[in-house]
Amino acid sequence: MAEADGVSARSVPPYLREAELIKQGAEARVYRIRFLGKSAIVKERFPKRYRHHVLDEKLTRRRTAQEVRSILRCRKAGIAAPVVYFVDLSTNCIFLEEIADSITVREHIAAAQASGQSVESLHHLAEKMGRVLAKMHDEDVIHGDLTTSNMLLKPERSGDLPLLLIDFGLSFVSALAEDKGVDLYVLEKAFLSTHPNTETLFQKLLQSYTAASKKAPAVIKKLDEVRLRGRKRSMVG
Amino acid sequence: MHLSSGLELFPEFVVTQLLFKDVKNCAELRKMAMEGKIAGALINPSMVLDPFQTLLAANKAVHVQKIGKMKTRSLYSEIIFNLSPTNNISEAFKRFGISDNDNAVLIVLVHNKEEAYNKDDVLSKADGQQIPADQMSTLSDLAKIKKLYKVAPQEEKCGSVLDAVICRMAAKDVV
Repeated sequence: MAEADGVSARSVPPYLREAELIKQGAEARVYRIRFLGKSAIVKERFPKRYRHHVLDEKLTRRRTAQEVRSILRCRKAGIAAPVVYFVDLSTNCIFLEEIADSITVREHIAAAQASGQSVESLHHLAEKMGRVLAKMHDEDVIHGDLTTSNMLLKPERSGDLPLLLIDFGLSFVSALAEDKGVDLYVLEKAFLSTHPNTETLFQKLLQSYTAASKKAPAVIKKLDEVRLRGRKRSMVG
Repeated sequence: MHLSSGLELFPEFVVTQLLFKDVKNCAELRKMAMEGKIAGALINPSMVLDPFQTLLAANKAVHVQKIGKMKTRSLYSEIIFNLSPTNNISEAFKRFGISDNDNAVLIVLVHNKEEAYNKDDVLSKADGQQIPADQMSTLSDLAKIKKLYKVAPQEEKCGSVLDAVICRMAAKDVV
């Protein structure tokens, strides 16, 4: 135990020792810190001690790099995602812009439902989500973990409400309709279980996705297939 | 006039930025820097949009120096290298360092918090007019920056040119 403590203490970068921990997941810890005079978010992929350390180091580094690549790829296409300030590959930490005064789409929908707003009032948002995801898939970026908690809304003074995608930790690049279909399937599952009675809202999202992307018909066809069999492909036969 | 910023990740260090225009001795300054007589990075200010851009380059330079992964020979050349979107060192010096017939220079110094750095020394060497470092954007060449960092118009829909530049600087070892 003493040894384990020693190792984990050593693996934490000094600058995170006094940082404010805001989230702990299975893959990473998320902190809020001051960085070069700005408020920033640090995502630290900590070592997993149950994996062989060489394999662990390889996987962790690859995922850190992939997350940064996907953010850059999205931003280049005009899809809003947090700015990457700095990458520390020696500790697998990514320093990101903090999206101040934003709320998650999850919070937004829950608040709208709690205040008794009609589902129709959220159609505009669902259409925006569909358009953004269509654009992302047209760039062959598969997010890998689409949920309404991984989408942020940042109200702007101009009255605009841009939608930002966050947490590209499980993302990868693929042109396959299968992967895009699974991406949407994961969102559908998360969406409908988080937000009851929103089937029509998700339909709106898919309609706008279809209208926004030329490649959508193949993806929706795959989505129908995936719905019948689940996220994982059958390897029987 | 100058701008001093602490590095939260390396609390022992401070980065100071000094900006000069109408500089008459860029060739001489460049020679001094190459001979190690100026302990600072001499940067072409037309390639810089904001002090935050150079601060990020300095932060990364200190970081790679600490972990022993510098790609160039000194901390100061590393700052210039970090500004570049590519891993080509001579290209980075050509674009982001100063040339003999430039007439403006941004000097970036990294010094110890306690140790009073030799600002007067730098001030005496640059034959030009010092202007406030936060007026950097008045000297930047936006068109050239967009071209070099390959910032397409659609990217400006989701953020500023500075955001685009910063992302490329941060991501260049992983792409």
